[in-house]
Amino acid sequence: MSGPEGMRDAAAAGRFALQRCTACGRAQYPPREVCAACLSDRLAWQVAEALPGVLLARTVLHHSHEERFRPRLPLGIGLVRLAAGPVVLCFAPVPRTIGDAVQVRAALDETGTPVLTAR
Amino acid sequence: MRNRRDIVAAVPVTVPYARRSGHGAAWFLARALALLLEGSGLDKRAIDGLCAASFTLAPDTAVAFTQHVGLSPRLLEWLPVGGACGVVALRRAARAVAAGEAEVVACLAGDTANATSFRDLIAQFSRFSREAVHPYGAGGPNASFALITAAYMHATGATREDFGRLCVAQRANARANPLALLRDELTLDAYLAARPIAEPLHLYDCVMPCAGADGFLVMSRARAARLGLSGVRLLGAIERYNAFPDDPVPLTGGWAIDQAALWRQAGLGPEAIDVLQTYDDYPVMSLIQLEDLGICGKGEGPAFIRRHDLTLAGDRPHNTGGGQLSAGQAGAAGGFLGLVEAMRQLLGTAGARQVATARHALVSGFGMINYDRGLCSAACVLAAP
Ligand SMILES: [Zn+2]
Repeated sequence: MSGPEGMRDAAAAGRFALQRCTACGRAQYPPREVCAACLSDRLAWQVAEALPGVLLARTVLHHSHEERFRPRLPLGIGLVRLAAGPVVLCFAPVPRTIGDAVQVRAALDETGTPVLTAR
Repeated sequence: MRNRRDIVAAVPVTVPYARRSGHGAAWFLARALALLLEGSGLDKRAIDGLCAASFTLAPDTAVAFTQHVGLSPRLLEWLPVGGACGVVALRRAARAVAAGEAEVVACLAGDTANATSFRDLIAQFSRFSREAVHPYGAGGPNASFALITAAYMHATGATREDFGRLCVAQRANARANPLALLRDELTLDAYLAARPIAEPLHLYDCVMPCAGADGFLVMSRARAARLGLSGVRLLGAIERYNAFPDDPVPLTGGWAIDQAALWRQAGLGPEAIDVLQTYDDYPVMSLIQLEDLGICGKGEGPAFIRRHDLTLAGDRPHNTGGGQLSAGQAGAAGGFLGLVEAMRQLLGTAGARQVATARHALVSGFGMINYDRGLCSAACVLAAP
Protein backbone atom coordinates (compact mmCIF):
# COMPACT_ATOMS: atom_id res chain seq x y z
CA MET A 1 0.00 0.00 0.00
CA SER A 2 1.52 3.27 -1.05
CA GLY A 3 -1.41 5.66 -0.78
CA PRO A 4 -3.17 6.93 2.32
CA GLU A 5 -4.65 3.47 3.02
CA GLY A 6 -1.69 2.43 5.18
CA MET A 7 -2.03 5.60 7.19
CA ARG A 8 -5.77 5.06 7.50
CA ASP A 9 -5.53 1.59 8.96
CA ALA A 10 -3.05 2.74 11.59
CA ALA A 11 -4.96 5.94 12.34
CA ALA A 12 -8.11 3.87 12.95
CA ALA A 13 -6.16 2.35 15.87
CA GLY A 14 -4.92 5.78 16.96
CA ARG A 15 -1.44 5.25 15.57
CA PHE A 16 0.71 7.25 13.16
CA ALA A 17 2.04 5.24 10.18
CA LEU A 18 4.95 6.99 8.51
CA GLN A 19 6.14 5.71 5.15
CA ARG A 20 9.75 4.54 5.11
CA CYS A 21 11.88 3.15 2.27
CA THR A 22 13.26 -0.30 3.04
CA ALA A 23 16.03 0.16 0.47
CA CYS A 24 17.64 3.39 1.69
CA GLY A 25 15.85 3.92 4.99
CA ARG A 26 14.48 7.37 4.24
CA ALA A 27 11.12 8.42 5.68
CA GLN A 28 8.76 10.54 3.55
CA TYR A 29 5.47 12.44 3.76
CA PRO A 30 2.99 12.75 2.10
CA PRO A 31 3.00 9.03 1.15
CA ARG A 32 4.24 8.29 -2.37
CA GLU A 33 4.39 5.44 -4.85
CA VAL A 34 8.18 5.31 -4.71
CA CYS A 35 10.97 6.63 -2.53
CA ALA A 36 11.77 10.21 -3.59
CA ALA A 37 15.43 9.63 -2.72
CA CYS A 38 16.30 6.28 -4.36
CA LEU A 39 13.13 5.52 -6.41
CA SER A 40 12.69 2.12 -4.76
CA ASP A 41 9.09 0.95 -4.52
CA ARG A 42 9.85 -1.19 -1.47
CA LEU A 43 8.10 1.08 1.00
CA ALA A 44 6.95 0.12 4.48
CA TRP A 45 4.97 1.74 7.28
CA GLN A 46 6.72 2.64 10.50
CA VAL A 47 3.95 2.72 13.08
CA ALA A 48 4.17 4.65 16.32
CA GLU A 49 1.88 5.92 19.07
CA ALA A 50 3.23 9.41 18.44
CA LEU A 51 6.21 10.91 16.62
CA PRO A 52 8.32 13.73 18.06
CA GLY A 53 9.04 16.84 16.05
CA VAL A 54 9.69 20.57 16.12
CA LEU A 55 7.16 23.26 15.20
CA LEU A 56 8.35 25.13 12.07
CA ALA A 57 5.38 27.47 11.65
CA ARG A 58 1.80 27.91 12.79
CA THR A 59 -1.20 29.71 11.35
CA VAL A 60 -4.72 30.29 12.57
CA LEU A 61 -7.29 29.92 9.81
CA HIS A 62 -10.20 32.36 9.93
CA HIS A 63 -11.52 31.20 6.59
CA SER A 64 -11.85 27.82 4.89
CA HIS A 65 -13.00 26.95 1.38
CA GLU A 66 -14.49 23.76 2.83
CA GLU A 67 -17.97 24.05 4.28
CA ARG A 68 -17.50 21.46 7.00
CA PHE A 69 -14.63 23.38 8.58
CA ARG A 70 -16.48 26.67 8.95
CA PRO A 71 -18.02 25.82 12.36
CA ARG A 72 -14.52 24.98 13.62
CA LEU A 73 -12.95 28.35 12.81
CA PRO A 74 -10.64 29.82 13.98
CA LEU A 75 -8.54 26.73 13.46
CA GLY A 76 -4.85 26.26 14.33
CA ILE A 77 -2.70 24.57 11.66
CA GLY A 78 1.00 23.83 11.98
CA LEU A 79 3.99 22.67 10.05
CA VAL A 80 6.10 20.21 12.04
CA ARG A 81 9.46 18.73 11.16
CA LEU A 82 9.48 15.18 12.49
CA ALA A 83 12.66 13.91 14.11
CA ALA A 84 12.33 11.13 11.51
CA GLY A 85 12.92 13.72 8.77
CA PRO A 86 9.75 14.68 6.87
CA VAL A 87 7.67 17.81 7.39
CA VAL A 88 3.97 17.30 8.13
CA LEU A 89 1.06 19.70 7.91
CA CYS A 90 -1.17 19.04 10.91
CA PHE A 91 -3.73 20.47 13.28
CA ALA A 92 -1.98 22.56 15.90
CA PRO A 93 -4.71 23.50 18.36
CA VAL A 94 -2.37 24.79 21.07
CA PRO A 95 -0.66 28.15 20.51
CA ARG A 96 3.08 27.49 20.53
CA THR A 97 6.28 29.18 19.49
CA ILE A 98 8.33 28.25 16.44
CA GLY A 99 11.04 25.84 17.56
CA ASP A 100 8.95 24.19 20.30
CA ALA A 101 9.10 20.41 20.67
CA VAL A 102 5.77 18.71 19.90
CA GLN A 103 4.33 15.20 19.58
CA VAL A 104 2.33 14.32 16.46
CA ARG A 105 -0.49 11.80 16.68
CA ALA A 106 -2.86 10.37 14.07
CA ALA A 107 -6.59 9.71 14.16
CA LEU A 108 -9.49 9.33 11.73
CA ASP A 109 -11.72 12.35 11.23
CA GLU A 110 -15.50 12.20 10.82
CA THR A 111 -15.11 11.33 7.13
CA GLY A 112 -12.75 8.42 7.81
CA THR A 113 -9.70 10.33 6.59
CA PRO A 114 -6.46 10.07 8.60
CA VAL A 115 -5.45 13.39 10.15
CA LEU A 116 -2.45 14.43 12.22
CA THR A 117 -2.46 16.62 15.31
CA ALA A 118 0.52 18.20 17.05
CA ARG A 119 0.42 19.04 20.74
CA MET B 1 19.84 29.01 -35.65
CA ARG B 2 19.17 32.64 -34.85
CA ASN B 3 20.79 34.37 -31.90
CA ARG B 4 18.38 34.59 -28.96
CA ARG B 5 19.07 38.32 -28.85
CA ASP B 6 17.44 38.70 -32.26
CA ILE B 7 14.13 37.46 -30.80
CA VAL B 8 11.58 39.95 -29.55
CA ALA B 9 8.30 39.91 -27.65
CA ALA B 10 5.73 42.35 -29.00
CA VAL B 11 2.09 43.41 -28.73
CA PRO B 12 1.29 42.97 -25.03
CA VAL B 13 -2.50 42.60 -24.73
CA THR B 14 -4.96 42.28 -21.87
CA VAL B 15 -8.57 41.13 -21.97
CA PRO B 16 -9.89 43.31 -19.14
CA TYR B 17 -10.19 41.48 -15.84
CA ALA B 18 -13.59 41.01 -14.21
CA ARG B 19 -14.53 39.72 -10.78
CA ARG B 20 -16.91 37.17 -12.32
CA SER B 21 -17.73 36.12 -15.87
CA GLY B 22 -20.32 34.06 -17.67
CA HIS B 23 -17.80 33.31 -20.42
CA GLY B 24 -15.61 30.21 -20.49
CA ALA B 25 -11.83 30.19 -20.45
CA ALA B 26 -11.76 29.59 -24.23
CA TRP B 27 -13.51 32.95 -24.73
CA PHE B 28 -10.83 34.77 -22.73
CA LEU B 29 -7.97 33.03 -24.56
CA ALA B 30 -9.64 33.62 -27.93
CA ARG B 31 -10.21 37.33 -27.15
CA ALA B 32 -6.52 37.65 -26.29
CA LEU B 33 -5.63 35.96 -29.59
CA ALA B 34 -7.93 38.33 -31.49
CA LEU B 35 -6.26 41.32 -29.79
CA LEU B 36 -2.85 39.97 -30.85
CA LEU B 37 -4.01 39.79 -34.47
CA GLU B 38 -5.55 43.27 -34.31
CA GLY B 39 -2.42 44.69 -32.70
CA SER B 40 -0.03 43.12 -35.19
CA GLY B 41 -2.05 43.20 -38.40
CA LEU B 42 -1.25 39.51 -38.83
CA ASP B 43 -3.63 37.00 -40.33
CA LYS B 44 -4.51 34.07 -38.06
CA ARG B 45 -2.77 31.73 -40.52
CA ALA B 46 0.53 33.47 -39.78
CA ILE B 47 0.46 32.18 -36.20
CA ASP B 48 2.48 28.96 -36.40
CA GLY B 49 3.28 28.58 -32.72
CA LEU B 50 1.12 28.61 -29.60
CA CYS B 51 2.13 28.65 -25.94
CA ALA B 52 -0.90 28.62 -23.65
CA ALA B 53 -1.82 28.31 -20.01
CA SER B 54 -5.18 28.10 -18.24
CA PHE B 55 -6.68 26.31 -15.27
CA THR B 56 -10.36 26.60 -16.16
CA LEU B 57 -9.98 25.49 -19.78
CA ALA B 58 -10.05 21.97 -18.31
CA PRO B 59 -10.81 19.31 -19.42
CA ASP B 60 -9.42 20.90 -22.58
CA THR B 61 -5.80 21.87 -23.12
CA ALA B 62 -4.02 23.93 -25.76
CA VAL B 63 -4.57 21.01 -28.13
CA ALA B 64 -8.36 21.32 -28.07
CA PHE B 65 -8.03 25.10 -28.13
CA THR B 66 -6.40 24.95 -31.59
CA GLN B 67 -9.60 23.39 -32.93
CA HIS B 68 -11.76 25.80 -30.93
CA VAL B 69 -10.20 28.81 -32.67
CA GLY B 70 -9.05 27.29 -35.96
CA LEU B 71 -5.29 27.49 -35.50
CA SER B 72 -2.90 24.99 -37.11
CA PRO B 73 0.41 25.65 -35.33
CA ARG B 74 3.56 23.58 -35.82
CA LEU B 75 4.75 24.42 -32.30
CA LEU B 76 2.49 23.85 -29.30
CA GLU B 77 3.35 24.28 -25.62
CA TRP B 78 0.77 23.68 -22.89
CA LEU B 79 2.11 25.17 -19.70
CA PRO B 80 0.64 23.81 -16.46
CA VAL B 81 3.20 25.76 -14.45
CA GLY B 82 0.86 28.26 -12.81
CA GLY B 83 2.45 31.62 -12.16
CA ALA B 84 5.66 30.70 -13.96
CA CYS B 85 3.77 30.43 -17.27
CA GLY B 86 4.57 33.89 -18.66
CA VAL B 87 8.34 33.60 -18.45
CA VAL B 88 8.22 29.95 -19.48
CA ALA B 89 6.04 30.77 -22.52
CA LEU B 90 8.44 33.50 -23.58
CA ARG B 91 11.52 31.33 -23.02
CA ARG B 92 10.18 28.39 -25.02
CA ALA B 93 8.69 30.55 -27.76
CA ALA B 94 12.00 32.39 -28.17
CA ARG B 95 13.87 29.11 -28.32
CA ALA B 96 11.51 27.78 -30.98
CA VAL B 97 11.83 30.92 -33.11
CA ALA B 98 15.62 30.88 -32.71
CA ALA B 99 15.67 27.23 -33.80
CA GLY B 100 13.49 27.94 -36.82
CA GLU B 101 10.69 25.77 -35.45
CA ALA B 102 8.17 28.60 -35.61
CA GLU B 103 8.00 32.09 -37.09
CA VAL B 104 5.35 33.78 -34.98
CA VAL B 105 4.32 32.37 -31.60
CA ALA B 106 1.18 33.52 -29.81
CA CYS B 107 1.56 33.30 -26.03
CA LEU B 108 -1.76 33.30 -24.16
CA ALA B 109 -2.89 32.81 -20.58
CA GLY B 110 -6.36 33.27 -19.24
CA ASP B 111 -9.11 31.98 -17.04
CA THR B 112 -12.70 32.54 -16.21
CA ALA B 113 -14.11 32.95 -12.71
CA ASN B 114 -17.52 32.17 -11.30
CA ALA B 115 -19.07 31.20 -7.99
CA THR B 116 -17.66 27.67 -8.04
CA SER B 117 -14.59 27.83 -10.30
CA PHE B 118 -12.07 28.64 -7.57
CA ARG B 119 -13.37 25.98 -5.20
CA ASP B 120 -13.43 23.41 -8.01
CA LEU B 121 -9.88 24.33 -8.93
CA ILE B 122 -8.44 23.90 -5.45
CA ALA B 123 -10.40 20.71 -4.85
CA GLN B 124 -8.63 19.08 -7.81
CA PHE B 125 -5.30 20.83 -7.51
CA SER B 126 -2.93 17.96 -6.77
CA ARG B 127 -2.73 14.56 -5.14
CA PHE B 128 -0.59 15.80 -2.26
CA SER B 129 -2.93 18.71 -1.62
CA ARG B 130 -5.95 16.42 -1.64
CA GLU B 131 -4.40 13.93 0.78
CA ALA B 132 -2.31 16.13 3.07
CA VAL B 133 -3.78 19.65 3.00
CA HIS B 134 -7.54 19.39 2.39
CA PRO B 135 -8.27 17.19 5.43
CA TYR B 136 -7.14 20.14 7.58
CA GLY B 137 -9.54 22.67 6.06
CA ALA B 138 -6.47 24.28 4.54
CA GLY B 139 -7.22 23.77 0.84
CA GLY B 140 -6.24 26.64 -1.41
CA PRO B 141 -3.09 28.66 -1.13
CA ASN B 142 -3.86 30.84 1.91
CA ALA B 143 -2.86 28.36 4.61
CA SER B 144 0.33 27.22 2.90
CA PHE B 145 1.49 30.79 2.35
CA ALA B 146 0.48 31.75 5.89
CA LEU B 147 2.89 29.10 7.16
CA ILE B 148 5.65 30.28 4.79
CA THR B 149 5.02 33.89 5.86
CA ALA B 150 5.16 32.95 9.55
CA ALA B 151 8.44 31.10 9.07
CA TYR B 152 9.87 33.97 7.01
CA MET B 153 8.94 36.51 9.69
CA HIS B 154 10.60 34.31 12.31
CA ALA B 155 13.75 33.87 10.20
CA THR B 156 14.23 37.46 9.03
CA GLY B 157 12.43 39.68 11.55
CA ALA B 158 10.00 40.86 8.86
CA THR B 159 6.92 42.56 10.28
CA ARG B 160 3.39 43.04 9.00
CA GLU B 161 4.36 46.67 8.34
CA ASP B 162 7.04 45.47 5.89
CA PHE B 163 4.53 43.47 3.87
CA GLY B 164 2.13 46.38 4.22
CA ARG B 165 4.59 48.82 2.65
CA LEU B 166 4.84 46.57 -0.40
CA CYS B 167 1.04 46.22 -0.71
CA VAL B 168 0.44 49.96 -0.21
CA ALA B 169 3.06 50.87 -2.85
CA GLN B 170 1.48 48.47 -5.34
CA ARG B 171 -1.95 49.94 -4.70
CA ALA B 172 -0.55 53.39 -5.35
CA ASN B 173 0.79 52.08 -8.68
CA ALA B 174 -2.55 50.47 -9.50
CA ARG B 175 -4.28 53.83 -9.22
CA ALA B 176 -2.56 54.74 -12.50
CA ASN B 177 -3.62 51.49 -14.17
CA PRO B 178 -7.15 51.49 -15.61
CA LEU B 179 -6.93 47.69 -15.99
CA ALA B 180 -6.46 47.09 -12.23
CA LEU B 181 -9.60 45.90 -10.45
CA LEU B 182 -8.63 47.36 -7.06
CA ARG B 183 -7.86 51.06 -7.34
CA ASP B 184 -9.21 52.52 -4.09
CA GLU B 185 -6.52 54.12 -1.98
CA LEU B 186 -4.98 51.71 0.54
CA THR B 187 -3.24 53.14 3.61
CA LEU B 188 -0.85 51.27 5.87
CA ASP B 189 -3.36 51.71 8.72
CA ALA B 190 -6.12 50.12 6.65
CA TYR B 191 -3.76 47.30 5.66
CA LEU B 192 -2.91 46.61 9.30
CA ALA B 193 -6.54 46.82 10.44
CA ALA B 194 -7.85 44.35 7.84
CA ARG B 195 -9.51 41.16 8.99
CA PRO B 196 -7.36 38.07 9.44
CA ILE B 197 -7.65 35.32 6.80
CA ALA B 198 -4.93 32.87 7.88
CA GLU B 199 -2.66 34.54 10.41
CA PRO B 200 -0.29 36.23 9.83
CA LEU B 201 -2.05 36.85 6.48
CA HIS B 202 -4.84 39.40 6.47
CA LEU B 203 -7.20 40.53 3.73
CA TYR B 204 -4.79 42.72 1.74
CA ASP B 205 -2.10 40.01 1.66
CA CYS B 206 -4.36 37.81 -0.46
CA VAL B 207 -5.02 38.24 -4.17
CA MET B 208 -8.56 38.45 -5.47
CA PRO B 209 -9.35 35.67 -7.95
CA CYS B 210 -10.93 37.02 -11.13
CA ALA B 211 -11.43 36.35 -14.84
CA GLY B 212 -9.25 37.73 -17.61
CA ALA B 213 -6.46 37.02 -20.06
CA ASP B 214 -3.14 38.39 -21.21
CA GLY B 215 -1.01 37.66 -24.25
CA PHE B 216 1.94 38.66 -26.42
CA LEU B 217 3.67 37.60 -29.64
CA VAL B 218 7.20 36.26 -30.04
CA MET B 219 9.05 36.54 -33.36
CA SER B 220 12.36 37.57 -34.86
CA ARG B 221 13.31 41.21 -34.72
CA ALA B 222 13.37 41.25 -38.52
CA ARG B 223 9.83 39.91 -38.75
CA ALA B 224 8.64 42.47 -36.19
CA ALA B 225 10.31 45.24 -38.15
CA ARG B 226 8.55 44.15 -41.36
CA LEU B 227 5.25 44.39 -39.47
CA GLY B 228 6.16 47.81 -38.12
CA LEU B 229 6.14 46.48 -34.56
CA SER B 230 8.63 47.27 -31.85
CA GLY B 231 9.37 44.47 -29.45
CA VAL B 232 11.32 44.01 -26.26
CA ARG B 233 14.50 41.95 -26.42
CA LEU B 234 14.92 38.84 -24.30
CA LEU B 235 18.37 39.04 -22.70
CA GLY B 236 18.09 35.96 -20.52
CA ALA B 237 15.64 33.51 -18.98
CA ILE B 238 15.66 30.69 -16.43
CA GLU B 239 13.23 28.09 -15.16
CA ARG B 240 13.55 25.53 -12.36
CA TYR B 241 11.25 22.97 -10.77
CA ASN B 242 11.14 21.52 -7.23
CA ALA B 243 14.20 23.43 -6.09
CA PHE B 244 15.63 22.74 -2.65
CA PRO B 245 13.27 19.83 -1.87
CA ASP B 246 15.00 19.16 1.45
CA ASP B 247 14.45 22.65 2.89
CA PRO B 248 11.90 22.12 5.68
CA VAL B 249 10.17 25.43 4.89
CA PRO B 250 10.61 26.86 1.38
CA LEU B 251 12.20 30.22 2.16
CA THR B 252 14.46 29.95 -0.90
CA GLY B 253 13.16 29.35 -4.42
CA GLY B 254 14.68 28.03 -7.63
CA TRP B 255 15.81 31.54 -8.65
CA ALA B 256 18.67 31.19 -6.16
CA ILE B 257 20.09 28.27 -8.17
CA ASP B 258 19.88 30.00 -11.51
CA GLN B 259 20.25 33.73 -10.88
CA ALA B 260 23.97 33.72 -11.71
CA ALA B 261 23.17 32.10 -15.06
CA LEU B 262 20.42 34.66 -15.67
CA TRP B 263 22.68 37.66 -15.11
CA ARG B 264 25.45 36.02 -17.15
CA GLN B 265 23.07 35.50 -20.08
CA ALA B 266 21.79 39.05 -19.74
CA GLY B 267 25.27 40.52 -19.65
CA LEU B 268 24.28 42.92 -16.89
CA GLY B 269 23.59 42.86 -13.17
CA PRO B 270 20.73 43.64 -10.78
CA GLU B 271 21.84 47.28 -10.51
CA ALA B 272 20.99 47.79 -14.20
CA ILE B 273 17.32 46.92 -13.70
CA ASP B 274 14.94 49.87 -13.92
CA VAL B 275 11.64 48.06 -13.43
CA LEU B 276 11.00 45.03 -11.22
CA GLN B 277 8.02 42.71 -11.72
CA THR B 278 7.79 39.88 -9.17
CA TYR B 279 5.07 37.28 -8.75
CA ASP B 280 3.07 38.63 -5.83
CA ASP B 281 0.51 35.97 -5.02
CA TYR B 282 1.48 36.86 -1.45
CA PRO B 283 3.86 39.65 -0.45
CA VAL B 284 6.31 37.24 1.18
CA MET B 285 6.96 35.67 -2.23
CA SER B 286 7.92 39.04 -3.72
CA LEU B 287 10.48 39.50 -0.96
CA ILE B 288 11.88 36.00 -1.51
CA GLN B 289 12.15 36.64 -5.28
CA LEU B 290 13.95 39.95 -4.72
CA GLU B 291 16.42 38.11 -2.49
CA ASP B 292 16.91 35.04 -4.64
CA LEU B 293 17.42 37.10 -7.81
CA GLY B 294 20.10 39.21 -6.17
CA ILE B 295 18.17 42.50 -6.03
CA CYS B 296 19.03 42.36 -2.31
CA GLY B 297 20.86 39.87 -0.13
CA LYS B 298 19.30 36.73 1.34
CA GLY B 299 17.16 37.64 4.32
CA GLU B 300 17.43 41.34 3.47
CA GLY B 301 13.98 41.62 1.90
CA PRO B 302 12.51 43.50 4.87
CA ALA B 303 15.43 45.96 4.94
CA PHE B 304 15.07 46.45 1.17
CA ILE B 305 11.38 47.28 1.56
CA ARG B 306 12.15 49.78 4.34
CA ARG B 307 15.00 51.41 2.42
CA HIS B 308 13.42 51.77 -1.02
CA ASP B 309 10.35 53.39 -2.52
CA LEU B 310 8.62 50.82 -4.74
CA THR B 311 6.14 53.21 -6.31
CA LEU B 312 6.22 54.56 -9.88
CA ALA B 313 7.98 57.71 -8.69
CA GLY B 314 10.31 55.79 -6.39
CA ASP B 315 13.90 54.62 -6.71
CA ARG B 316 12.89 50.96 -7.23
CA PRO B 317 9.63 50.81 -9.21
CA HIS B 318 8.13 47.39 -8.50
CA ASN B 319 4.95 45.77 -9.85
CA THR B 320 4.22 48.99 -11.64
CA GLY B 321 0.71 48.05 -12.72
CA GLY B 322 -0.28 47.18 -9.16
CA GLY B 323 0.63 43.51 -9.38
CA GLN B 324 -1.89 40.78 -8.78
CA LEU B 325 -2.55 42.16 -5.30
CA SER B 326 -4.27 45.16 -6.91
CA ALA B 327 -4.98 44.07 -10.50
CA GLY B 328 -6.53 40.75 -9.47
CA GLN B 329 -5.40 37.20 -10.18
CA ALA B 330 -6.99 35.98 -13.39
CA GLY B 331 -5.86 32.39 -12.87
CA ALA B 332 -2.97 31.52 -15.16
CA ALA B 333 -2.94 35.08 -16.48
CA GLY B 334 -1.39 36.00 -13.14
CA GLY B 335 1.75 34.45 -14.60
CA PHE B 336 1.59 36.85 -17.57
CA LEU B 337 0.70 40.02 -15.70
CA GLY B 338 4.23 41.07 -14.75
CA LEU B 339 5.52 40.24 -18.21
CA VAL B 340 2.99 42.28 -20.19
CA GLU B 341 3.45 45.16 -17.73
CA ALA B 342 7.24 45.02 -18.17
CA MET B 343 6.75 45.00 -21.95
CA ARG B 344 4.51 48.09 -21.78
CA GLN B 345 7.08 49.89 -19.62
CA LEU B 346 9.94 49.03 -21.99
CA LEU B 347 7.89 49.91 -25.09
CA GLY B 348 6.92 53.26 -23.56
CA THR B 349 3.20 52.48 -23.74
CA ALA B 350 2.44 52.37 -20.01
CA GLY B 351 0.52 55.65 -20.12
CA ALA B 352 0.06 57.40 -16.78
CA ARG B 353 2.26 54.86 -15.05
CA GLN B 354 5.20 55.07 -17.45
CA VAL B 355 8.58 54.89 -15.68
CA ALA B 356 10.66 57.37 -17.69
CA THR B 357 13.93 55.51 -17.21
CA ALA B 358 12.65 52.04 -18.12
CA ARG B 359 15.36 50.38 -20.21
CA HIS B 360 15.76 47.01 -18.48
CA ALA B 361 13.20 44.94 -16.62
CA LEU B 362 13.37 41.86 -14.44
CA VAL B 363 10.28 39.63 -14.44
CA SER B 364 9.89 36.61 -12.20
CA GLY B 365 7.23 33.93 -12.00
CA PHE B 366 6.29 31.34 -9.42
CA GLY B 367 3.67 28.66 -9.47
CA MET B 368 1.83 25.52 -8.46
CA ILE B 369 1.75 25.10 -4.74
CA ASN B 370 1.83 21.38 -4.13
CA TYR B 371 1.47 20.29 -0.50
CA ASP B 372 3.74 22.85 1.20
CA ARG B 373 5.47 24.83 -1.55
CA GLY B 374 5.33 26.24 -5.05
CA LEU B 375 7.25 24.00 -7.41
CA CYS B 376 7.86 26.23 -10.43
CA SER B 377 10.14 29.25 -10.53
CA ALA B 378 11.21 31.29 -13.53
CA ALA B 379 12.64 34.69 -14.36
CA CYS B 380 13.76 36.74 -17.33
CA VAL B 381 15.57 39.96 -18.13
CA LEU B 382 14.12 42.17 -20.88
CA ALA B 383 15.50 45.20 -22.65
CA ALA B 384 13.80 48.08 -24.44
CA PRO B 385 13.93 48.00 -28.26
ZN1 LIG C 1 14.83 4.98 -0.77
